[in-house]
Amino acid sequence: SLKQMAATKVPEVRDITRIERIGAHSHIRGLGLDDALEPRQVSQGMVGQLASRRAAGVILEMIKDGHIAGRAVLIAGQPGTGKTAIAMGIAQSLGPDTPFTALAGSEIFSLEMSKTEALSQAFRKAIGVRIKEETEIIEGEVVEIQIDRPATGTGAKVGKLTLKTTEMETIYDLGNKMIDSLSKEKVQAGDVITIDKATGKISKLGRSFTRARDYDAMGAQTQFVQCPEGELQKRKEVVHTVSLHEIDVINSRTQGFLALFSGDTGEIKSEVREQINAKVCEWREEGKAEIIPGVLFIDEVHMLDIECFSFLNRALESDLSPVLIMATNRGITRIRGTNYQSPHGIPIDLLDRLLIIATSPYNEKETRQILKIRCEEEDVELTEEAQTILTRIALETSLRYAIQLISTAALVCRKRKGTEVHVDDIKKVYALFLDEARSSQYMKEYQDSFLFNETRDLIHWFETCV
Amino acid sequence: MAVQSWVDMLKSSKKTALIHDGKRKIHYLFADGKEMSEEYDLKTDELIIRKWRHKSTLGAQGQWQVEVGEPLAGHIPSLDSEGIKESCSNPTFMRKDTKASFQWRIRNLPYPKDIFSVSVEPSERCIIIKTSNKKYYKKFSIPDIDRNQLPLDSDALSFTHANNTLIISYKKPKEILTLEQELLKELKKMKGTNEGDVDCKTQ
Repeated sequence: SLKQMAATKVPEVRDITRIERIGAHSHIRGLGLDDALEPRQVSQGMVGQLASRRAAGVILEMIKDGHIAGRAVLIAGQPGTGKTAIAMGIAQSLGPDTPFTALAGSEIFSLEMSKTEALSQAFRKAIGVRIKEETEIIEGEVVEIQIDRPATGTGAKVGKLTLKTTEMETIYDLGNKMIDSLSKEKVQAGDVITIDKATGKISKLGRSFTRARDYDAMGAQTQFVQCPEGELQKRKEVVHTVSLHEIDVINSRTQGFLALFSGDTGEIKSEVREQINAKVCEWREEGKAEIIPGVLFIDEVHMLDIECFSFLNRALESDLSPVLIMATNRGITRIRGTNYQSPHGIPIDLLDRLLIIATSPYNEKETRQILKIRCEEEDVELTEEAQTILTRIALETSLRYAIQLISTAALVCRKRKGTEVHVDDIKKVYALFLDEARSSQYMKEYQDSFLFNETRDLIHWFETCV
Repeated sequence: MAVQSWVDMLKSSKKTALIHDGKRKIHYLFADGKEMSEEYDLKTDELIIRKWRHKSTLGAQGQWQVEVGEPLAGHIPSLDSEGIKESCSNPTFMRKDTKASFQWRIRNLPYPKDIFSVSVEPSERCIIIKTSNKKYYKKFSIPDIDRNQLPLDSDALSFTHANNTLIISYKKPKEILTLEQELLKELKKMKGTNEGDVDCKTQ
C-alpha cells in the first residue's frame, strides 16, 4: 500500500556542504598578493590597504620559511580598517598544516587558570610538530553493504559490511556514525575503500577492476584499481601534525587525553612542559619529527596587562616560539596594571621588538568594493543606488555599521517579497537601528528621562575614554 | 632492540609478583616504559595469559594487547564508540601454548581441512595461513622467537582441523625451553604475597 511505502521511505542523508557560518571575516581567503608579493587592488576578499598587505606578505614568507622564531608583529590602525582581516588573510595563506591560533586579549582573563598559563597554552597551540605515527587501517573491496533501518523509523540502524582482499573475506558490524559516513560517501559494492580505525575516516580509492563491466554504476571519471592483497587489516605509518599543547595534554597524567575532547585541560605542570620540550628536541635531532612554528594572533592586545607583556617579552626569547601577531586600535593610552601611558598601551621594551604595520581608513571606492564583497558573501543583491547610499553611510558612520545594515536590509526586503534591496529598505533599517554617533546624540538629548540620571557623567566618562 | 638481549631486558625489568586465584601473576616494567603482564597456573605452571601495554609515540597510554591467552573479557568497546568492528561470526584467532609448543587456535572456520595451507615464511619471519576458497588469510609472527632472534624452522610446524577449529602448533626450540624453565625458577623465588593486596608500584 501507498501509505506503508511512505512510512518506510528511506530518509535522505543530509548533505552538509557548508558548516561554517558567515562571520565578519569569512570572505577573506588570503592576502591577495601575486607571486612577487605585490598586492592586487581587489583579490581573495581583500580590498585596498596595499602597503599593509605587502608588509604582511613579507612576514608571511618569513613564517613559511620556518627558520625564524620569536618574531612579533603589531598591526595598528583605527577601528574598521582591516586589521583582523589581514591577520585572517595570513592564516588562510598558511595552509592547513601550519598552526594558527587566534584569541582576543580579554580571553586570557579567566578564573579557571592564571593569565600566564592561558598565554603559555596559546603559545604552545601555535607550535606544530609533524610526526610519524602508526595507525591501523582496513583496506578492501566492498562485497556487500547491508543497512537495516527499523520499520518504525526510530531507533538505531543496524549495518553490516563485507570486505574482501584477494585472499580473504570479513564481515564487519557497523556503528551508527560509520553507517552515516558510508552513505554520505555513497560507498557501494565493488568500491575499494580504506577505513582508518582510529578516526573512522573513509577514503574511496576507486572501483575494483572486476566491476569494470557494470557500466551503469559509474561516472565519467571513475577510477579502476586492483583489489587489495593479503590481510584486510594493515598497519600504516601516517604523518600528522599535532600542537605542543596537545602533546602536553596527552602527557598530563591527571587529565588524560580525554580532556582534549571535553575542552577542559586545566593547568599543565611546568615539569611536563620541560620534559616534552626535551623529547621534541630529541625527535628533531633524530629526524623523527619536524617543528612547524605557527602563528599566534592576539586581537585587542591593549587588553593585556603589564604581567602579560613581561611574559610575552620572555616567551619570545624561546627558540620554540611562534610568530606573534598582535592587533590594536588604541593610540597612546594607559598600560593596564600600571599608571604609565604608552603608545598602543604596550610597554616600550616590547614595542621595541615589534615590526609595526599600520592600516589606514578606506577611501570611497574601497569602501564600496568591500560592501559589494560582503553582499556577495551574504548572498544579498543591492540596486546601484542602494550601494551608493550604503557606501555613504559607511563613510559617514562606520564600515561595521554599514555591513550590519546589509543583512537587516535584506530581511526587510524579503518581508516585502522583493529580490533586490532598494534604497527604501536601507532607509528603513537606518531609521530602525542607531549608529554610534546618533546613539550618543540620543543619549545626550534624552538623558533626563533615563532611569538613573547619571548619563551626563557617563557620556563625560565615555568622552574621556575615547 | 637488538642491542640488548631479551634475557638482559627481563633481568633488568622491574618485576612485581602476586599469587591470586590459583595463578601466579607477574608484572614487568621495562626501562623503555613498556609493560608486560603474565599469569601462570600454580599447579601446572602453564602460561595462561601474557599481555603487553605500550605508550603511543606522543605519550598516550595504550590498551593492553594480548599476546597469549583468551582476549580480554569485560572491556568490550561499544559499537558506537568504535564505529566498526569485526562481526562475531568471523574466525577468531588466539594463541594458547602448551609446555612443548606454541599453539594457535582459529575458531569459526567451518571448512574441510584440505582448504587450508599453513607455511613458514623465513624471510618475513612469519607464519602464513591461506585458504583455497579465499575466505581466510592470516600472517603472524612468533614474538618469543623474534625476541630471542632465533630462526624459523618449517619442520617445527604442524596443524590439525577439528570442530570448526584450526589448530597450529610450532615446537618450541631448545633455547626457548631452557629460557622458560629458568625464568619460571626465578619467578618462583620471588616473594609474592599469597593473597590480597600487594604494593604495586607500577606508576
